Amino acid sequence: MLKKPMKKPGIAINSARCMACYACFMACKDEHCGWDTALSKSQPEMGQYWMNIKEWERGDNPRRVKTATVPTPCSHCDNPACMAAAKDGAVYKRDDGIVIIDPEKAVGQKQIVDACPVGAVYWNEALQLPQKCTMCAELLDDPDYPGFEPRCVEACPNQALVFGDLADPESNISKLIAANKVTQLECLGDMGSSVVHLNIPQTFLAGTVAYPKELEEVCIGANVKVTGEDGTVYETVTNWAGDWEVEDLPRGKSWKVEITFDGFKPVVYDNERTDVDHYVGITYLEPAI
Amino acid sequence: MSFEKVMMSDSKREKISHSVCVGGPMTLHTIDGVIRRVRPIVFTDDDPAGWVIKARGKEYTPQRKFTMSLLGYCEKDRTYAYDRLKYPMIREDFVETPDGKNRNTENRGKSGYRRASWDEALSLVAREIKRLQKTYGKETITACTSSHHSWGLVGYKISLFKRFFSMMGYTRVADNPDSWEGFHWGTPHSYGYYWRLGGPEPYDMLEMAMQNAETIICWSSDPDTSRGGYSAQESALWRWWMKEMGIEFVFVDPFNNYTSVKHATKWLGPRMGTDAALLEAIAYVWITEDTFDHEYVRQHGHRFEEFKNHILGLGPDGTPKTPKWAEELTLIPAMDIKALARRWAQTPTTVGSGMRGGFGGACRSSNGTEYARLLTLLSCMQGMGKPGRAFWGPGCGAPMNYNFWFGGYSDPLASIAGYPVCDDVPVNSVEQVLYRPNLPDAILDGHYEWYGEGFCGGGVDLEFTRHVYPAPGCNKVHCFWRYGGSFFGTMLDTNKWAKMYKSPELEFVINQDIYFTPETRHADVILPACTNIERVDIGEVGSSGLGGYCSHSESGNSWQVIVYQDKAIEPLWDSRSDFWIFSQVAARLGWGEKFTEGRTEEEWAKRFWQFSDLPKQISWEDFKKKGYYVIPVSMKEEDKDPKTGLYENWIRYPGFQWFAENRACDTMNHKVFQEEGLLGTFSGKFEFVSESLTYWAPDDEARRPIPQYQDSWEGHKSLSADKFPYGLISPHPRFDYHTHYNQHAKWLWEVPKNRVVINGNPYLVCHINTEVAERKGIKDGDVVRLFNDRGSCLCVARVTNRLYPQTIHAYTSSGIYNPIEYGKYKSWDKGGSINVLTPGRLIGDYVPAMSPYSCNIDVEKVDPDPNYGQGWEHILDAVDKQQLETERPIRTSAEADLLFGEKEAQYKKEAI
Repeated sequence: MLKKPMKKPGIAINSARCMACYACFMACKDEHCGWDTALSKSQPEMGQYWMNIKEWERGDNPRRVKTATVPTPCSHCDNPACMAAAKDGAVYKRDDGIVIIDPEKAVGQKQIVDACPVGAVYWNEALQLPQKCTMCAELLDDPDYPGFEPRCVEACPNQALVFGDLADPESNISKLIAANKVTQLECLGDMGSSVVHLNIPQTFLAGTVAYPKELEEVCIGANVKVTGEDGTVYETVTNWAGDWEVEDLPRGKSWKVEITFDGFKPVVYDNERTDVDHYVGITYLEPAI
Repeated sequence: MSFEKVMMSDSKREKISHSVCVGGPMTLHTIDGVIRRVRPIVFTDDDPAGWVIKARGKEYTPQRKFTMSLLGYCEKDRTYAYDRLKYPMIREDFVETPDGKNRNTENRGKSGYRRASWDEALSLVAREIKRLQKTYGKETITACTSSHHSWGLVGYKISLFKRFFSMMGYTRVADNPDSWEGFHWGTPHSYGYYWRLGGPEPYDMLEMAMQNAETIICWSSDPDTSRGGYSAQESALWRWWMKEMGIEFVFVDPFNNYTSVKHATKWLGPRMGTDAALLEAIAYVWITEDTFDHEYVRQHGHRFEEFKNHILGLGPDGTPKTPKWAEELTLIPAMDIKALARRWAQTPTTVGSGMRGGFGGACRSSNGTEYARLLTLLSCMQGMGKPGRAFWGPGCGAPMNYNFWFGGYSDPLASIAGYPVCDDVPVNSVEQVLYRPNLPDAILDGHYEWYGEGFCGGGVDLEFTRHVYPAPGCNKVHCFWRYGGSFFGTMLDTNKWAKMYKSPELEFVINQDIYFTPETRHADVILPACTNIERVDIGEVGSSGLGGYCSHSESGNSWQVIVYQDKAIEPLWDSRSDFWIFSQVAARLGWGEKFTEGRTEEEWAKRFWQFSDLPKQISWEDFKKKGYYVIPVSMKEEDKDPKTGLYENWIRYPGFQWFAENRACDTMNHKVFQEEGLLGTFSGKFEFVSESLTYWAPDDEARRPIPQYQDSWEGHKSLSADKFPYGLISPHPRFDYHTHYNQHAKWLWEVPKNRVVINGNPYLVCHINTEVAERKGIKDGDVVRLFNDRGSCLCVARVTNRLYPQTIHAYTSSGIYNPIEYGKYKSWDKGGSINVLTPGRLIGDYVPAMSPYSCNIDVEKVDPDPNYGQGWEHILDAVDKQQLETERPIRTSAEADLLFGEKEAQYKKEAI
C-alpha cells in the first residue's frame, strides 16, 4: 500500500542526465546498511551495490571522449528470472510490480543471485542470503515515513531518476518516458520492467576536418555523410572547432564516411567501425586543383 | 561502520533533527539514540517559493529540496566509523620529563597509545602548558586547524578555536590561500578585488548567462566536482539547463574532467603549467585578426599598447606569441587554439577558472599568478560585464536575497571570538606568526623568513610585509596543538610534516580530533572530540561570509538555508564536544568562566540567531522546532509571478555590469572608490602592465609587470623532467572534502573511480593515458607506483583517454596516509597521499604560494605485497581492550560536566 495509491510504481533512469555523482548510490547504502526492515535484512557495510552505477568511457582517442553512466538497480522485471529460480516462494512480485526477496524464506538460496541477468542480486555470505533493491517499498508503504520517493530518487540532483506511476499516462514518469528514447537493458531483451532506462548511448563516430596541414586551420561547415551497411545515411557538418560527430550508431557495424567541402577533394573512409566509440581522425583536405 | 548490532527499523519511534556538513544540510532520522538515516531537506508548503529564471522562452526553477552531495549521505558511515577516537589517549612511550627533553619524539607516528581518563589527559595538557609558558613564554605554543572537519558557527575555527587560543596567547599559523593561490597573489595586480582575494563578482550571473551567453569556457574547472566549494550539488542542474538550451561548453583542463565528459562541445588538454601560453596565443589571434573590444580596452585598459607589443613579439623577448609558439609548449594544435580564440571572440562568452571563477588548479602552478592575471585581462579584451561576456564560473551566481543577514561561516561578525556574539573579545597577546606551508621548515630549521600575510584582503601592500621566525624577542615554538583533520593529504611535500613531528624541538604535541587521522597518530596526547551531530550548533551552507572574502558565495546554492544543528545522538564513547574540551582546559588554566561567559553551546548558538535577521522572521523556539529556515529570495508578495507563484523579481546586481556601463558600482561588497567607476588597481583600470608590481616588486621573477608564460622551475623543461617525464595533475577531490571523508567512510572506497580495495588496502585511483600504460605494461586495475625524488605513492591505475600522454591524474587530499614502513621517512605511501610527491617550494620569493601543479613524476607497475594492509588499526584495537582501573568511567557529558564543575573551583585556586 503506497502512500499515494499507484498501480505500477516505477523509476525512470535517464542516462542523458546522469553525471555519476554517486548521491543515489550513497543514499541507498545509507538506507539499507545497519538496519533490518520487514522487507530486507541489513546490507553489509561493503560489497553490495543495490544501486549500482555502471560507467564506461567512450572514445578511442583523447580528442573525443565522453562517458556513459547507467545507474542500475534491480529492474523489477515483469517476469523475474529470480522469482522463477526461487523455491518456496522466496521471491515474490507484489500486485504493484515491486519484486521482493523474502529475507526469511530465501536463506541459503544462492541460485537466486545467479539467476539475475542484470547482476542486481547480491549474496550475503554472513547471512547466507540473496539481497537486492526493494524500491524502498518499506518506506513508501509506511504512513509514518515523511518521504514520498525511493531514497535514490530523492537524492538525485539532476532529475535523472524520476519516480511515479507507470500505469498513469498523465504522470510525470510516463510523460518523461514518452518524450525520450527507451533503452531497455540488453540483457532483459523485450521484457518489461518497473525500472525503465532511457537514453543509454550506443556508439559514436567522430572526427575533425582541417584545411591542408600547413595552414593550421580547422574547416568549419564541411559536409560529413556516414552510410551504414544497410544503407542508412546520417549527415552532419563540422562545427566551429572543425569537429563532427554522429551519435548513437549501432555497435559493431562498419560505416562509410564521406567528407566533402567546396573547392577541395572529397575524402572517403570505407570501413570505419563502431566496435567502440570511434574517433576517425583529423582529415586534412587537399585543394581540388 | 560499527553499530554494536544491526537494529530493526521502526519509523514510529523515529526522531527527526537537522544538521549541516560539507555535503549540504541534512535531515537526520534517529531511533533510540542511533542514526537511522540521513536525508536531504525536502521543502514543504510552509517553506517559501523558489525563484524562476526566464530565458529563451522557457522558465527554470530549482527542485524543492536541497541537493546534498554523496558526502552528506556518508554521514552515518562516517559517524560510526572504525577510526573514531573513542577515548583520551597518551602515547605509550611518552615520558613527562620536567625539562621537556628525552620524550622519545622519534617514535611519533609509530608508537602505540594507552587509554587515559579525561581527567588524566586534561591535567597533563594543563601542566604542560603551564610549564612551557613558564619556560619559554606564551609564544612557545602554536596551534592550527583544518577547515570544516565539522560544521557550525559555534564550533568553527574562527570561532571556538580562535576564542580559546586568543585567550591563551599563541603563535598563530597563517593559512595560505591554498585553493586559489594564483588569483590571490595575481589578479589584485590586474583588476583589483584584493578584498575578494582575487575572485570575481558572481552576482546574478546565472540569469545573465542563461539569457545571453552562447559559450561557457570552464578553464581548469570541474564544477560538478568542486560543487561551488560548499554548495553540494545545487548548481549541477543549472548546467544541464544551459546545455539543453544550446549553450556550448568548452573545457580547458589537462584532465578531461567529470563535468567535461558530460557537457563539453570541445575539450582542450594543455600540458601542465602552460595555460598562460595558451592565453597569450589567444590574445595574439585577437590582436592580429582585430577581434577584441577596442572601445572597452581603450576606456578600461591601462597600458594595453605595451601588452600588445609583447604579444606581437615587439617587446624585450622578441617572441611573437603565435598559436604555433603555444602549440610547442601546450601540445595543443595551433588550429584548435585559433578555433577557440575565434569562438570566444565571435559569441557572447563567459570564462571562469575553478569552482567560483577565481579558483582552479592551473592557478596553483609556478606560473599560476600569470595565468590568473591573463585570464582577467583577456576577459577585459572581450568586454567583461557586457551581456553574455563575463568572468564567471557556472557554479555560483544564482538569485539570492542580499538584504537578509545571517553571518555565515568565516564571517568575522559570526564568531564567538568577536563582537557582537561574545561580550569579552579575547586578543592574542603574541605577535609571532608562522606560515602553514612552511611550518615544518620553521620547526626543523629553527628559522624561516617569508613575505606576505596569509590572506591579503586588506590591500596589496600586505603581500610585501616581511616575516621572520622566530620573531625578534620571541622564543621558538616547542608545543603544537593540532585541531581537526589532517594536513598530510593537503599540504605539499607531506613527508616533511612527518619529519617535523619527530623533532625533539616539539616537546609536546596535542591532537584534538574526531578521528585517528595521520596527524593524530603523531601526538603525545589525543583528545577525542565528537562530531557536530553529537552536539548543538547553528549553521548555513555555502556562504563564505562578508569578511570571508568570497562574499555571497552562497549564491552557489539554489536555496539559502539556515539550520539549527540539534544534537541528534549523544557523544559516542568517551568523546566530548570541542567546546567542552576547551572549556575544561581553560578551567584548569584558571580562566574557565571567562572562556564560557557562563553560556552553554546552545546559548552560544542562540546568539547567532539573535544578531542576525532571523528574529524578524522566526522565533528561537520555532526555529529550533522546525530545525531550519529558508531565506526567500524576496520578502515581497508582489515579486511573485501571479501565474506560477514563483519569485520572478528580486533585487538584481549583475556582476561587473556597472563597470562595462561606466556607472557607479552597485554590487554588494564593493569599495568606496568603485562608486567612481574604478577598479581596485593603482590606475583604477585593468592593468595590462601592473603598476602595483612595478612599484612594490620590480625584481619579482614570478610576477612580471606584463603577465606572461614562463617555464616552470619544475616542468617539462626542467632537469628533473629527464628522470620524471610526466606532469602530475592533482585537483581537489570529487569523492572527498579536504581530508575529511576517505579514511573514515568506507562506502567511498566502493566508488570505482575513487579507490579500489586490494588485500584490504583502499588504493587511490590514478589516471594514466592508454599509450603510456601500454608502453609500461600497465593494465587497468594494476597497482602502480607514482614517484619522484620526494617520495612514492602507490595507486591503482585507470587506463584512459581522458588525458594526453604527458599527464598523470590523481586527486589530492587523501585522508589516508599509510607508509608501508610506518614512521620511515619517504617510505612508499599506500594510502594515496599524493602530496608526498608535490614540491614544498613556493611559487616565488614574493609569492608565498604553494604550487602542486608543478610536479614531475614517473610511474611503474608494482606487485603489491599482500601484507600491505592497513597499518595502524592495531593501535586502536589495543586501546579498545584496555580498561581504566583507577577511575569511574564517565558515561555522559552531563555527568562529566557535573564532575568537572565541582573541580573547577579547585583548579582556579591552584592556578592562582
